[in-house]
Amino acid sequence: MKPIIGLRGLASAALVMSTVGIFSSSVLDAASASASTGSRVANSTLVIGTVNSVQKIDPDVVTNFLDFEALGLIYNTLVQENSKLQIVPDLATSWSFANGNRQLTMQLRQGVKFDDGSTMTSADVVASLERAIATKTADPSASYLGSVTKISASGPNAVVLTMSHPDVSVLEGLATVNLGIMPAAAIKAGTIATKPDGTGPFEFSKWVPSTSFTLTANPNYWGGKVSLNSVQLKTIPTEQSISAALQAGTIQMALLSQPTVVSTIPQSYPVQHVMDLSYRALQLQDKVGILANVNARRAIACATDRNQILQDSVFGDGKVVGPVPLGPYATNPVSSICPTPNLGQARKYLAASGHPSGFTFTAITSTDLDSTSAAQAIAMQSQLARVGIKMNIQNLAANAYIQDWLKGKFQAAFAENGASPSPYVMYGRYFGKGAGLAIPAGYSSKSLQQELLAGDVTSSAAGQAAAWKKLNNDLTGNAVWIWLFDSYDFAVMSPSVHGFTLSPVNTTQLSSLATTTLK
Amino acid sequence: MNVVTAIVRRILSILVTLLGVSVIIFVILRLLPGNAVSASMGVSEGLLSKAQVAALDQYYGIGRPVLEQYFSWLHALLNGNLGVSLSQQKSVSYLVGLDLPVTLELAFFSMVLGILIGVGFGMWSALHPGRWQDNIGQVVAVVGLAIPAFVLGQSLVVYMSTKFHYFPSSLTFVGFFSNPWLNFQQIIFPSIVLSLGIGAAILRTTRGAVLEVSGLNFARTALGKGVSRRAFVWRHLFLNSLTAVVTMSGIQLGYLLGGTVIIERIFVLPGMGNLLITAIKNQDYPLVQSATLVFAAGFVVVNMFVDLAYSLIDPRTRKRSA
Repeated sequence: MKPIIGLRGLASAALVMSTVGIFSSSVLDAASASASTGSRVANSTLVIGTVNSVQKIDPDVVTNFLDFEALGLIYNTLVQENSKLQIVPDLATSWSFANGNRQLTMQLRQGVKFDDGSTMTSADVVASLERAIATKTADPSASYLGSVTKISASGPNAVVLTMSHPDVSVLEGLATVNLGIMPAAAIKAGTIATKPDGTGPFEFSKWVPSTSFTLTANPNYWGGKVSLNSVQLKTIPTEQSISAALQAGTIQMALLSQPTVVSTIPQSYPVQHVMDLSYRALQLQDKVGILANVNARRAIACATDRNQILQDSVFGDGKVVGPVPLGPYATNPVSSICPTPNLGQARKYLAASGHPSGFTFTAITSTDLDSTSAAQAIAMQSQLARVGIKMNIQNLAANAYIQDWLKGKFQAAFAENGASPSPYVMYGRYFGKGAGLAIPAGYSSKSLQQELLAGDVTSSAAGQAAAWKKLNNDLTGNAVWIWLFDSYDFAVMSPSVHGFTLSPVNTTQLSSLATTTLK
Repeated sequence: MNVVTAIVRRILSILVTLLGVSVIIFVILRLLPGNAVSASMGVSEGLLSKAQVAALDQYYGIGRPVLEQYFSWLHALLNGNLGVSLSQQKSVSYLVGLDLPVTLELAFFSMVLGILIGVGFGMWSALHPGRWQDNIGQVVAVVGLAIPAFVLGQSLVVYMSTKFHYFPSSLTFVGFFSNPWLNFQQIIFPSIVLSLGIGAAILRTTRGAVLEVSGLNFARTALGKGVSRRAFVWRHLFLNSLTAVVTMSGIQLGYLLGGTVIIERIFVLPGMGNLLITAIKNQDYPLVQSATLVFAAGFVVVNMFVDLAYSLIDPRTRKRSA
């Protein structure tokens, strides 16, 4: 048989291939050197790669994490959460509750300047908080100030918040960037939505929508000199490309969430991981159908192997958690009825529910919103099948999921929800009296409302600990939802980055850039 | 039919096509669940009071009658105003102006490379039917069509960055006129990836067309009359196959304008594909509508030029038109 390619053809092909190989190697080496020179020129700038892009620059209306992180470098809040999730001073240096926890007085830091050069006073704080709670602003965190009836200045360096009822959790609420402090003059001029103006370590420099967001060091920062000249948050749509850019030296830090991508990066790049302030749960609509039966819900809780779900969905890079994932009131054990899988107990609950051979329900997921949700659902589906519970899975596009979730049009929903060290801030919005998210919460009870209130009205540590323990037991004992796990966030850095610590607080994960250096 | 009438008819058909596209985009977007408020606020929308949601609806122009929204958009378009992006609060013209040049440059380079690959290998294959040159051409075509661009693109990015620490397109994109060398480095690799698929389609078309033409009587006559091989190949075979090649190239270019999405994302190019994906995610109606219309306009204009090219390269088409 005649060969497809003759000897001459093979020799020619080999010659062409080797020429192309040599040429491409040498050209790529040269081009690499030239492109790196380009990046060295910009080395005074720390470039951070992230799959997200900054969407809005008005701190009162932002909702996505990157917007919080970016604006958290420009704006300060009255208080902040430190790496141990404790409330510590920011623009307020001290505070005290009075009148049975109905009045909060905060002393303000002095000598703080806004980016426009003006000095911060109590009038700016009052104007900022009043803007946040104004209806037309549509600040999603305005509910944190729901109990506040009056915000007033007490001299140039103090503000007083008067509440309609005792509410110590208002302090945690004040740590969100949604309640950042801005100049009263800028609010009046209506320039906040187009030109950020804060007191943080960096100033707004340039925003190229969907591409990058650049900040420069604030020379007047009250917290001391900022080492970095500028920081750029660069949108790189895939995590694989972020990893490639880091190794090519065109970015110096990568914010990643996929452990599989992190594991491909050479060990010479330091990796930091931190449990973020969020949790994955299977939310249940407990008012109608089979899931209105508490024993049916308990059967699900006991048949669920949370560790296996953690392994299957994020390769074990996280921790199994209960309703409060982190902080001083973290749930321990993670469930008061079945902290570990117990199929015997699950079958007993099934029998008690009147469905000894199991039942069927449907859970919604959205891989657009949480790429791991399908893996969580598939793992749980096979676990529940062991006791005869059939869980159908319906994956929805992001907006369809959000619409159904908000209207409570689901039996069960795999969700990734934001957390807080304060159980009241976390669950007051779902299970508290008049809760904004009562419909998607799918469950309400007087006892939960009382437990939330009891923790909120007392400022004593022992009183709060007792109230929150009761709340944890109530939530898990009634299997209101099935809490699953909390995963890691990763920051991978070039070896030239020093002094950066990834914060567990999602909304201010980058706060240590104020003290980061690039060598 | 005179030339002016033909051109007027052509322009009218383009306008009708674009009007149809505008209706389809508008209707499809309104059928999607949610709106700009829910896309912007996510589940946090549930934390807003009814008054706050109403304020946002008014801000985003939601709740206006659908027909009013459509005609208001159409009116603005006819006045040269593409609208204002809901999510980014910048004019759509500004955003498209930033990103369209990147996509056009990528499409241009990909097309040039694709035509070189397709015509080159196609001619080579067709002139050596059944021999090893033909087999190489067939392998190139199969590889180009079989390997998805995103697989090739991601592999190339990973290989270059790990082996050579080289990923120029992840630097801030620069225009050709501000830094031609860096711009070339940023565009060439994604262009190569895209060009393989285009080249494969053109290759097969070229090969088929040249083989067909080479079997026709006039070609055999030309050979019999002793025409030189070069003249035979380029004047008789290639020119007479050009209509099929131009048709396929036009189709590929049309698809390319909207088909760069994944490659732009892998190579971090701030082009129209990226802009459109973000806009769809945010249910940013004005941006999606107007950007899609820009793509559609590009497609019909390319097709118009392809039709015009027929009459230039094939005298029979001119006669038929006359």
